[in-house]
Amino acid sequence: MLVTRYSAVAHRTAALLGAGDEAEDVVQDAFVKAFRFLSGFRRDAAFRPWLLRIVANETHNLTRSRGRRADLVLKIGVEPETRTPDDPEGVAIAGDRRTRLLDAVRALPERERQAVVCRYFLQLSEAETAEVLGWPLGSVKSRTFRGLAKLRKEVGHELS
Amino acid sequence: MNSPDDLESELRALGDALSTPDPRPSDVAHAVRARLEGPGTEPLTDGGRRRRHRWRWAGAGVAVIVAVLAGLTPQGQAAVGHILRFAGIEVHVDEQPGPLPSGVPSPLPGERRVTLDEARRTVRFPFSVPTVLGDPQDVRVSDGGRVVSLFWPGLRLDAYNGVLSPVWRKDLGGPFPEQVMIGGSEGWWISSPHQVTYLPYDGGEHTMPRRAEPTLIWQKGLVGYRLEGPANVAQARRIAESVR
Repeated sequence: MLVTRYSAVAHRTAALLGAGDEAEDVVQDAFVKAFRFLSGFRRDAAFRPWLLRIVANETHNLTRSRGRRADLVLKIGVEPETRTPDDPEGVAIAGDRRTRLLDAVRALPERERQAVVCRYFLQLSEAETAEVLGWPLGSVKSRTFRGLAKLRKEVGHELS
Repeated sequence: MNSPDDLESELRALGDALSTPDPRPSDVAHAVRARLEGPGTEPLTDGGRRRRHRWRWAGAGVAVIVAVLAGLTPQGQAAVGHILRFAGIEVHVDEQPGPLPSGVPSPLPGERRVTLDEARRTVRFPFSVPTVLGDPQDVRVSDGGRVVSLFWPGLRLDAYNGVLSPVWRKDLGGPFPEQVMIGGSEGWWISSPHQVTYLPYDGGEHTMPRRAEPTLIWQKGLVGYRLEGPANVAQARRIAESVR
């Protein structure tokens, strides 16, 4: 069933675009909408971006109804494994850098942040990102580029 | 140290390290199935959101229903059709549509040419003109003030009263209308030419179906809008979002 196949990516998309602890509701709404509109249609190949588009819209509606910018309430769940266990200081530095990078992503203007989230956190292609966010391909490219430039400036060169 | 690729792969790794909710897919499937099978009676995990959701839909007077009709083609194969009801428009999607009508379209019932000011006084609902288009070249009011139609070269905007009962029927072969956001509300973009039929208020004789160009449909409050003729969805949204 399509739910089983796309549940994980749908929850990830909702959470990373700002649905926070209401991600599960958003995803259920999206699936219900998708099935009401889709039943009988044989469009399996195009289903993923189409579903994620609905998830993105529902998330947008949710954050809009809260009357504030979509906050990214995210936790870094997995510790980086780039340092050896006998180098606790290195672990701390790498962890600190990740936290700062995440903070910098949070602080990006909304559209640049959405582009970065889709392209890197969700690892969607440029074309998929364009479809999910409903933007022209050129906007995906330019907003990603501007977002990366700001992140580079923000977390800079002083570490790693 | 920090080449562009470094930052990009760092972001990917950071994304992988972020924990997001991941309920068991079988639980999600179960919840979705329950909601699809029992609209309105489903057990709710979070009453707040559901309530707000229902309120929003009831308040907006939106009815989005898709019915699946099974029929038989002459060849005896099962054909599946879909009906989408939204903003006073009933969209019939059929995978094997008939040919589009040709010829000169008939006017709407009681259609007459008016000025914009006359239209505002005549129709029974508040409507707005897209600011990006400026004043229309032609304005028509039809069916006792139920519909006002504004014309610019290559573009037609119909605003109509009532989004709960169907005002228009559209028949198309696909692709399925695309959901788009107009400001904060939902709209649907029909990207290819299709057949449109006006359904008169008194339920009388339908006007003849005519060929319609790509159309965006949406609603503001209890007023429905259909914008026909934009070159693409981006232009359609730009115009629609300037209706204030």
